[in-house]
Amino acid sequence: MLPIGFVGTSKLMHKMEAWEILVLLLVTGPVSVFVITVYVLSALGKSLGFRRKYVQMLLYIFEYGRIRIEKAHREKYGSDEEDNCEDVSSKVISLGPKSNGNAVKLEDSPEEKELRNRRQSSLKLSDDDDQSDLNIPVDCKSDFELSDIFHFVKNGIEAIVEDQVTQRFVAEELKSWNLLTRTNRHYEFISWRLSLIWLVGFFIRYFVMLPFRVTICFLGVVFLTMATALVGSIPKRYGVLRRRLYNIVSLQAFEVFSWSISAVITHHDYENQPGGAIVDESGSIVKGFEGGGGICVANHTSPIDVVVLAVDNCYDMIGQRHGGFLGILQRALARASSHIWFERSEMKDREAVARRLKEHVEDKTKLPILIFPEGTCINNSAVMQFKKGSFEVGGVIYPVAIKYDARFGDPFWDSSKYSMLQYLYMMMTSWAIVCDVWYLPPMTRKSGESAVDFANRVKSLIARKGGLVDLDWDGQLKRTPAKKEWKEQQQLEYSKKFVNSSPRHIVSAVEDPSSTGDVDNLNPST
Amino acid sequence: MGSRPSLLLRDEELAEIQKETGFSANQIERLYSRFTALDKTGSGALSREDFLRIPELAINPLGERIVMAFFRHSEEDRVNFRQFVRVLAHFRPVKKNKDNKLNSREGKLKFAFKLYDLDDDDRITKEELLAVLQMMVGENISEDQLMSIAERTILESDMDGDGMIGFEEFCKALERSEVEQKMSIRFLN
Repeated sequence: MLPIGFVGTSKLMHKMEAWEILVLLLVTGPVSVFVITVYVLSALGKSLGFRRKYVQMLLYIFEYGRIRIEKAHREKYGSDEEDNCEDVSSKVISLGPKSNGNAVKLEDSPEEKELRNRRQSSLKLSDDDDQSDLNIPVDCKSDFELSDIFHFVKNGIEAIVEDQVTQRFVAEELKSWNLLTRTNRHYEFISWRLSLIWLVGFFIRYFVMLPFRVTICFLGVVFLTMATALVGSIPKRYGVLRRRLYNIVSLQAFEVFSWSISAVITHHDYENQPGGAIVDESGSIVKGFEGGGGICVANHTSPIDVVVLAVDNCYDMIGQRHGGFLGILQRALARASSHIWFERSEMKDREAVARRLKEHVEDKTKLPILIFPEGTCINNSAVMQFKKGSFEVGGVIYPVAIKYDARFGDPFWDSSKYSMLQYLYMMMTSWAIVCDVWYLPPMTRKSGESAVDFANRVKSLIARKGGLVDLDWDGQLKRTPAKKEWKEQQQLEYSKKFVNSSPRHIVSAVEDPSSTGDVDNLNPST
Repeated sequence: MGSRPSLLLRDEELAEIQKETGFSANQIERLYSRFTALDKTGSGALSREDFLRIPELAINPLGERIVMAFFRHSEEDRVNFRQFVRVLAHFRPVKKNKDNKLNSREGKLKFAFKLYDLDDDDRITKEELLAVLQMMVGENISEDQLMSIAERTILESDMDGDGMIGFEEFCKALERSEVEQKMSIRFLN
């Protein structure tokens, strides 16, 4: 029995070999072609142009879905939505980028816009229409009226219905369902046709695109770690060569990463791009322009921001040392260029951070340093308070505005809910990451301007360019309760009503709430 | 990006709320989604902390009083969606020929009155008035001065001479105030 069996298997093995080789060829052939294509294309800085076509196609599908949903909605609720019901179809989805700042954004109806603006301004007591509540006619000045509470009550109720802050830390609301199951719109059954589209989309996203994207991302990580190790092994005295090679490696690696999330990034206004100079041993500039890298500041939505910016330009980064997947990338990057990674305990030491930052900025041979001064991820509907730290250092500030199109997949990273890998998984199973990047003209601090004022000036420019709401609120409110100074400010404002009767009671020194910068002023999440 | 349901209300419940509050179905859906967003623990009801997590409310001098208004009619220390919408309904703009007792001028005044009337005995005493004043001015004005303001206010409005302000006296005192406008907000559809 045994010999026969033995002979049988050996024969089989013999047969298998030829078959195996064929399989091996069939499998490795396309894979290696794929791998080589990825590396060659990224090296050439070319892409096949699929992504833009794909995004265009998605827009048409969404538009179709929107019309279907609205029709279904009208059938369900009928047209009896009388009281201040606006025509649903007034919310227009713009197809393709428009020429102005808010390129690919769903439009608010004018009514909503007005309401939003009003709510935003109602925070400040001194604003025009609210003033009527407080500015009491002269004859009854310093008199309390029972109706004085109306102003506060109205503001309070408005905040309960919709507030400016907490909505920034959850996924931005979409106007229409984008056929993903995990948006705030969830899965909706509207019609069989739409459900079929959703199903096909689901299949494509999870079973076709996800494997490709994971592979590409993996190739990117492999490339980055190996290439940075190589560049890192070049002695420091060949600074120019090192720097040039690093630039190539960095651009190429981030390009590959951007493919793994199907990023369609449109950069605007290249003339304002931050750039450091490459200086040779004798100190003369080989490439780039004088003035050193300076600091590039941008609004922060997710770690993807780094990819979005680094596919187009090279930066050094500053931030907290991470473990896990981000940690691998951080260590790889740090091998070849002068990124500044801090331990969590060191981040608390603001002076040390500021010193390192200053040294880096003053060294003209170094790359511009990328900072997200909000210090936390915001859902890309607003820009929140900028920590003043990066604006105290001096040097040139290069503001950058980033606006994502949330319809293709919401890029906001809610780090309290999802780990980095979970987040990446969601990004890789979304439709795409579509965004616009605007380089704004470089800015410097005016003489006599405080770091806080400068930070606010930069922030409002970024907000305007990106079509984002400009907020004074601190992004740290995501984790910490509101400071009581803000309440005291409102109380002080109201007490001014009684100022004529007894000026000595008014405490003048309520701290300016916007300058309570006791939190880390540098972004801990890069 | 959470798995927040867009609307989990049953149709009949929706119809009841619509009838009671005068909100449209769309407005109720919006408010429901807001309600679930505020409900961080996912328990289906809001606690005081859930409300005060809204920074703009937390810094409102009367924030705590406003939150208390939501809990007035609830036995427990949590507010469910029905109660939540009912309170908000007071702030619907007044519309002609569409009467709803919550958002009428009287409904709005009642709401304001109850903010002062802490012990719910339908009268505003000097102490209750003083407490509200203190919340609004904080440390900026001396207690003596506030006391005299409170006394004067009661004197001006008190008609039956009991040293307190009843609801009718309250309405009379606010006769010329534009309550309909000042106590209304717009609800998006």
